[in-house]
Amino acid sequence: MAEVILKMTNIKKEFSGVKALKNACLELRGGEVHALMGENGAGKSTLIKVLCGIHRPDGGEIEYFGERVCFPDIASSQAAGISVIHQELNMMNHLTVAQNIYIGREPMSLGMIDDRRMTEDAARLFDKIGVKIDPSVVLGSLTVGKQQMVEIAKAISRECRLLILDEPTAALTQPEVEELFKIMNELRDKGIGMIYVSHRMDEINRISDRVTVMRDGEYVGTVDTDKTTKDEIVHMMVGRVIYGDKKEKSNVPDNAETVLEVKELCAGNSVKNVSFKLRRGEILGFAGLMGAGRTETARAIYGADVKESGEIYINGIRVDISSPEDAVNQGICYLSEDRKHYGLMLSKSVAENTVLASLGDFVNMGWIDDAEIERQAKEKNALLRTKTPSMEQKVKNLSGGNQQKVIVARWLIKNSDIFIFDEPTRGIDIGAKSEMYELMERLVSEGKSIIMISSELAEVLRLSDRVIVMCEGRITGELDISEASQEEIMKYATMRS
Amino acid sequence: MNDINIGRGKIKIGQNVIILFALAALVFVFFLLNPNFIDKYNLVSMAQSLAPYAVLGLGVTFVIATGGIDLSIGTVCIASAVIAGKMYTSGILGDNLWLTIPIMIAIGTLFGILNGFLVARLSMPAFIATLGTMMLSRGLSALIVSDPNIFFPNGTWFNRTFSNNNGVPTGLFWIAGFTLVCMYLMYKNKTGRYILSIGSNEEATRLSGINTARYKMTAYTLSGLGAGVAAIFWASAFPTVAAATGNGMELDAIAGVYIGGTSAAGGVASVSGSVIGAALLVVIRNGLNMILANFELNLNSTYVTYVLTGIIVVVAVLMDVIKTSKGKRVRVRKRK
Repeated sequence: MAEVILKMTNIKKEFSGVKALKNACLELRGGEVHALMGENGAGKSTLIKVLCGIHRPDGGEIEYFGERVCFPDIASSQAAGISVIHQELNMMNHLTVAQNIYIGREPMSLGMIDDRRMTEDAARLFDKIGVKIDPSVVLGSLTVGKQQMVEIAKAISRECRLLILDEPTAALTQPEVEELFKIMNELRDKGIGMIYVSHRMDEINRISDRVTVMRDGEYVGTVDTDKTTKDEIVHMMVGRVIYGDKKEKSNVPDNAETVLEVKELCAGNSVKNVSFKLRRGEILGFAGLMGAGRTETARAIYGADVKESGEIYINGIRVDISSPEDAVNQGICYLSEDRKHYGLMLSKSVAENTVLASLGDFVNMGWIDDAEIERQAKEKNALLRTKTPSMEQKVKNLSGGNQQKVIVARWLIKNSDIFIFDEPTRGIDIGAKSEMYELMERLVSEGKSIIMISSELAEVLRLSDRVIVMCEGRITGELDISEASQEEIMKYATMRS
Repeated sequence: MNDINIGRGKIKIGQNVIILFALAALVFVFFLLNPNFIDKYNLVSMAQSLAPYAVLGLGVTFVIATGGIDLSIGTVCIASAVIAGKMYTSGILGDNLWLTIPIMIAIGTLFGILNGFLVARLSMPAFIATLGTMMLSRGLSALIVSDPNIFFPNGTWFNRTFSNNNGVPTGLFWIAGFTLVCMYLMYKNKTGRYILSIGSNEEATRLSGINTARYKMTAYTLSGLGAGVAAIFWASAFPTVAAATGNGMELDAIAGVYIGGTSAAGGVASVSGSVIGAALLVVIRNGLNMILANFELNLNSTYVTYVLTGIIVVVAVLMDVIKTSKGKRVRVRKRK
């Protein structure tokens, strides 16, 4: 058995009173692919950030190649041979592939950057790991999958002894995943230890040697992949059932009227001839891989981005939506997956965030009625069981789940009719997740209609009455919940033209 | 006002108290060094020069609250005064001095609308758009009015109403009134709340169905209006208006706003702080001028004023930055 190259024991990390890591442990051997699993908010990313020097641990020990270490910053962990491939790619789209790989250590000649040598070096590097990419093209022109390969090449172009891959396959197609695994197997043969973060059970089974599971910032256990089962891992991760079973059949009556109809919507490269209907009381799931154009479709409907063509009907009447203002006036609301950038005013209070969309309703003879704002915000947030010490609390101090509830409260006050939830449970802990499910079910039982974009298939199957699957900007499949399954959805999600 | 901008209330009081304390301390020091500093004539003179800066500051506070900037207010203020003054002295307006008032307001507002159009509708960066209108307004007024100086009448109802009525600094009453109106607009009216929301998170505000372009437009228009109104106080306090000047005025006014506690990043604004900040700068300028003369030091008081003002601005903005970055470190558990 190969030597242990990394041993993290009892790592603790606290962010302003929130314990992100309690007793996190991780052991990695050379030439091993070690899967790190856990629900959102389990502390995987924090653990990785502690390892590579972005966060300082509050307690615990890190042993790296037999030496006790604590990297003060990324530069020093990189110097020690630790490379991280983040889920979101951190590269410069307008530079060439080679320039991206050698950024910060460009080969020089006569005091100038030697672009030719850089390109040649990159080409050799690609040859070595069997990747077919032209290093002289601009990075932004490559697909996300290829960009991922470039990032890996960049990581191993330095002396790399430990490679961390944080959900590298989230945006990849099946052939790209195969290519990634081929590279990973080669790196394994070279004795490089890899920490692999992913939610995809089948991938874990194929590529990893061992699995470490975390839950709520704590170490749950480590198992050999070939001696465990999917159920056991899920049980370790969840500790309790959260998704529940798949919904058996649609709850929408056959005679439910259509509240929203989209016809032949086109917007940019990511939305091509999208047509669908949403019925009253329905949860319409939008499934697909990352980059399938689901968010873009939602934003185009909502008027957040420019539409090129297409028609939108609300309750059978054609409407012109060219800005979010128009959409809100038509009773549509959009809850972004990226709450911090597109949803919340982080340094403002719960009350201010709750009434952002409906401030006009609280104006009395030209004066804003703050007492009424406070009362309404309190009422709606109590209804949603938002956990906050007061309405004056700044939203940035709330957890992800409670922040999401504040945004839902915003639209309840506005009395919106059609809710577009974009990844409603991203970054939300497990308890809040099931609450969010109950909340969505309650909304539809009250006659609201929901479009739910989600990348978690279990979530789609648990909640949707109908599932629309997108791939490369097109709708490739539409399934009634009774006929939907993970396999079926994945089939359509990878149906490229 | 403190209970309105919920959550920020306490900090705002804190900052106001700090500046008021600094103001009092400065007055005291200047008084010790030169007792004439609190002479009635000197106080009235300071109040007279405070008025235009305070109005400029009040107006530009709305722009800064959106996270933007308006560099054109100084030159627009002088341009308004010069063009209106020229129209009066050349006799176009006849004997109607009062007509210069709506003309100054109109010119300022028009430039504000132009800025708003460039920034809100054409999505230009505020710094560059208003740098353009700053040069434009300065050059334009110099082209229209070739005289190097414009002479507003002195000792008329105009000066008495807006600047000094037999030793009563009437400008201060106007400032008090404007401050209350601006506080209403900023804190108790939809316009101000949305302006602050835009400063906090423009995209989130837009996605909440708010016409952010309209409210940004309003902010720049208010800033231009402020420049026009400031021209009234400038011309009544300093009837000899040097045309083709005004550069630098905006910097003093904007510095006052930052010192007053309005965040350069937007989202947090202190209307009363902007006036107090302007007062602090006027006191420094005047006080240094007096004591340096008193001690016959071979130092140019204007430059010393700049040095001191510069230090205060840096410290004030540093306080804001520390406050903001503290906030950033309060990290909600990162996703996954």
